[in-house]
Amino acid sequence: MKKKLSLFLLIGLSALVSCQKLREKINPIGILVAGTAVEDRVEMSNQFYKEILEDKVWLVVKGDYSFLVGADSHLTTDTGRLDEMLAIGLKDDDLFYAHLGDLADTKAEYYYTLDSLLEEAKRRYVEKNFHQTGKYEWVANTNQDKDPVPYTYDEIAIPFFPVVGNHDITRNGWALWSNIFHSSFYEIDVINLLDNGKFAYDHLIFLDSASGTLGKTQIDLINKGVLDGKYDNGTSQYRYTFVFSHTNIFRPQFFEFASTFTREETYFLLDQFEKWNVNIVFCGHVHTWDERNFNGVHYLTLDSMCEQNNPNPGDYLVRINVSDNELSWEPVKMNYSIKKK
Amino acid sequence: MRFLQKSFLLVTFLLALPSAAFAQAYSGERKFDGVHYNEINGSLFGGDNVVTGAFFGENAIYTRHLSPRWSISAGQQIQFLKNVFAIDVTGTYRIPVGKKVNIYLDGRFMFSHYQRWKVNEPVANLSAYLETSYFDLRWGWSYIRYHKVDVNELYRSFTTASYGEPLVMTLQLGVNIRPRYNRWNLGIFLRNFDQYYYENWNINWGIRFHCTLPLDMKLFGELNVRPAGSISQLATRYETSLKLGLKYVW
Repeated sequence: MKKKLSLFLLIGLSALVSCQKLREKINPIGILVAGTAVEDRVEMSNQFYKEILEDKVWLVVKGDYSFLVGADSHLTTDTGRLDEMLAIGLKDDDLFYAHLGDLADTKAEYYYTLDSLLEEAKRRYVEKNFHQTGKYEWVANTNQDKDPVPYTYDEIAIPFFPVVGNHDITRNGWALWSNIFHSSFYEIDVINLLDNGKFAYDHLIFLDSASGTLGKTQIDLINKGVLDGKYDNGTSQYRYTFVFSHTNIFRPQFFEFASTFTREETYFLLDQFEKWNVNIVFCGHVHTWDERNFNGVHYLTLDSMCEQNNPNPGDYLVRINVSDNELSWEPVKMNYSIKKK
Repeated sequence: MRFLQKSFLLVTFLLALPSAAFAQAYSGERKFDGVHYNEINGSLFGGDNVVTGAFFGENAIYTRHLSPRWSISAGQQIQFLKNVFAIDVTGTYRIPVGKKVNIYLDGRFMFSHYQRWKVNEPVANLSAYLETSYFDLRWGWSYIRYHKVDVNELYRSFTTASYGEPLVMTLQLGVNIRPRYNRWNLGIFLRNFDQYYYENWNINWGIRFHCTLPLDMKLFGELNVRPAGSISQLATRYETSLKLGLKYVW
């Protein structure tokens, strides 16, 4: 009996180990421990953002603006949906893109594809929004200075701001992800020149929740006020605040099998979002749409835009329209579907 | 759909409430021994949590065996530094299957207050617990609500927001190296809950033990490792705690 049981277990294990597709999706070691700990990612991100970029990342825009949010593209060899997101934002003049994580499916070649895709999107972005004033000099079309300071091509970055997702970091994917985006925990200010000549400041907060917890380092940094904004007056200075995070706060349905935050961390985050006066929190991870309001904060959980998960065209993106007296959002349809072989 | 889920849970819970006890950290024999109708189970614990830092606390559960099949228990827990206060009442009905196997049906209502974030959390749980000599398994469902509360100028609390989660599955697997009715035992467990919380898909694991002491007492304890994100393949350190307790019957 024991011999039979051992033989059965051996056959079962061999089948499991030899199943290439399963091995690509499930890493037995990864079930027990993350490839790169959230503590390391946050320390690295914070150092990069505060010391190398010296906190000098902001966007400047005149009048009303909009931005585009997508989630869980799980890029493999088919770039259709992510390419479509980049094209939609460019066509409709969105100020920036935010991606809620699980950009690609943790394989080196997928990140090379992603890098090439973003490089091509940057070329189209520069072509539309900048003009060349010299062999290596570019000036934004909106710049009306008589003697504008030009940028080199390398100094221009496509405004694509992602957070990291669990599929981005399994099996040491952080090395690939951080090579392109550098930071998974950061903030950006949007400086909005209003029609009446005054300025308004909007706050974008990007959290690293890929491990299902923010981790001690990130929580300590938040408690120290690292993401409270760059201005002396703190959060009250901001007109609108938006948070972007991978792991969802609310579970849309009872049969969702994706990990959410633990109890204490859920309550910590709900409380923190109120302290930051957040208008909208954007989450992904669970691949199901959900919208709700909790204590004055609006929560949007986006469905996956991945062509494998959702092959049919659908409203997988969200556009946020920002004006001085109104904040609204609308679903944005994606038309790309998997080509029939 | 959600109304049906809630109604189903509420009706089943009310039916099961007059019964009695989640034996919690104690993993040995728990059925009525035919002599002692009362038992008290107290423990001290301490650990470290990523959000709140170090914490320690106590909990105590009183159980009354109403008959060889029915029992009822009530408990409380205080977690200092984490600032969580919880109470519960549990009803249990035991179904014997042969001489060594039992199935317990537990109906439980629990209330926790998370003082740091001003959150009240009532939970109703229904579960079935199967125990054999070496293995045990619990399976059930929880309905969890949470209320954000505040205090007005008259020091009266009021709810500012509340949310009822979709049903949450309860799951526990355990295995011991000796039969459960042995004088001492050592085992391991996997579960998505602890004494006063139920998680969604964050799976705790740990080591548990118990041994018999003189004067109708039992010593028990466990190491509880509570990672975050375990079903997303990225189990990350979140909380680790140690518990040591005594069970006394009379």
